[in-house]
Amino acid sequence: MIYITIAFYVEGKPIIDYFNLKKLNDSSKFQIFNKDEIFLIISGEGNINSAIATTYLLTKYGWKNEDIALNIGICGAKDGGFSKGDLILCNKIINHNSKRAFYPDILISHDMKEASLESFDFPVRKYHQEEIEGDIVDMEGAGFFEAASSFLYSHNIHCIKIVYDLLDFDKIDPKMVQEIIIKNIFKIENFINSLLTLNEKYLQRREDKKIKEILEKLKSNLHLTRSMEIELKKLLKIYLIRYKQIPEEIEEFVNIKVNSKKEGKEYFEKLKNFLTF
Amino acid sequence: MEKEIISHEITKEILKKFPNSQIITVNHYKEVFSRPRQNYKLQELSKKLILAKKREKFLSPASSLCQNFGHPYFYYANLIVNCIFNCDYCFLKGMYSSANIVIFVNIEDYFKEIDEILKKHPLYLSPSYETDLLAMEEIVPFFSRFVNYAYSKENLILEVRTKSVNYTAIKNLKPSPNIILAWTLLPQEIIERYEKTPNLSLRINTIKRAIHDGWKVRLSFDPIILVENWKEIYKKFIDYIFSEIPASKIQDITIGVFRIPKEYLKRMRKKFENEITLFPYVEDIDAYTYSPSTKEELLNFISSKVKNYIPEDKIYTI
Repeated sequence: MIYITIAFYVEGKPIIDYFNLKKLNDSSKFQIFNKDEIFLIISGEGNINSAIATTYLLTKYGWKNEDIALNIGICGAKDGGFSKGDLILCNKIINHNSKRAFYPDILISHDMKEASLESFDFPVRKYHQEEIEGDIVDMEGAGFFEAASSFLYSHNIHCIKIVYDLLDFDKIDPKMVQEIIIKNIFKIENFINSLLTLNEKYLQRREDKKIKEILEKLKSNLHLTRSMEIELKKLLKIYLIRYKQIPEEIEEFVNIKVNSKKEGKEYFEKLKNFLTF
Repeated sequence: MEKEIISHEITKEILKKFPNSQIITVNHYKEVFSRPRQNYKLQELSKKLILAKKREKFLSPASSLCQNFGHPYFYYANLIVNCIFNCDYCFLKGMYSSANIVIFVNIEDYFKEIDEILKKHPLYLSPSYETDLLAMEEIVPFFSRFVNYAYSKENLILEVRTKSVNYTAIKNLKPSPNIILAWTLLPQEIIERYEKTPNLSLRINTIKRAIHDGWKVRLSFDPIILVENWKEIYKKFIDYIFSEIPASKIQDITIGVFRIPKEYLKRMRKKFENEITLFPYVEDIDAYTYSPSTKEELLNFISSKVKNYIPEDKIYTI
């Protein structure tokens, strides 16, 4: 699954439209949108809201190890090489209040700029410049990241920000917000796809069904104890890694029905010897 | 990069080698290195460099699972944590929760501590214990710094263990009698299956150059891994080694079967399911290893083959 936390509907609208997400009937205070693997929640402003919404989304829809969580939204940039509309993947996220810092693992190549994000509990203006440690600022990233870190791998949690202003804004223009997000949506989609590919290739354990079936039969037919079962499971896995297939001879053992624990133990030893070179 | 070492000369030297890198500053390296929920297996695909300052415990006594060659004061210094190689059997996979490589840039503090220890007693030191120092030399010149430091220290013996073929790092240095270059060698079949490191023939060529230039060379057949047809594989390997390397020029040989602290293997099994981690080892005193009979058979067989080339008193087994 891909879980996306967004502060305001205006920021989420281009993403909702692009992925054709539909609003779910949810009795919570949050608006949630979904299609297939993607869930998007509108958290409201601030770190606390972002953390609550992220936790709600992940727990409600049953997060798994290979799931991805993203916080997408607009930000302000302090200075130094950023322009309006720049798409940024955050490599460090600082909670301005607690000074705690979080570090996503960036394991895939991407075509965004990288920068450190600092999340404040108030809108940041030019006159706050001296207080700012990060390169860019927002009001949600740290809350989102800390919450998602309680569940998911650090390479699957990311804050993606789009520069809206250089701390010189007066009023947020919803049309402008949507324009700069739409402009960058392909790059965001590419990033999501790269992460999905990485996870699919390396994370999802393909517990071999065949091993499970064989073990079930052996367990009952040979009266295996739990420790014998664990040992056989390991040996079968090694065999599978080495020879890419389960030996045909295993069928002979599967079809044996023993009458005593002693007899079961004897067959277990034979099976062990057979599977160990 | 820790903020405290941004202007350290070693930091600057390393950064010159990575002009396009993204630099992220941290207060303490453990904020990144010891984060919860890192995926070790995936980090191996894209290792990051963490530059830090070592603040305490510059030297530690080596594990009892390591061969001490009769030296009572066997210590290791971990200037670098983790390795550029990803050998399936490496204990580092069970020791740390991150595959990223930490370099402690303040090598001068290690030297100060060694100086203090040498005032009290001799020292047998391995600075390449949790990494491959020679393989890292292109990134950080710790190997050459250590060699230059060790020349004048009579009661210091330095063992630099490696699988590297980076002879460029060695060729301009003067050999010293108190520095031992220890190459880990295993049969090519094992290298291909479990190591992803420079192949055996390249390592042998590097060893030959080191011997030719006057370095003391130790061969380490460790860890011996049990595979099908192991007798045939290890016999062919040993015969090949000594058909290439003049046995009389070898300082000594160490042979050790695969062994790993129990906790490390348990953690490795959570990260990796492969032939090494899933093997049904038996519990030794404080480690998992092969059964006593298998261990004895492996050691006896390999030692007996090595004895055809090397006198017994130069062979150490563990």
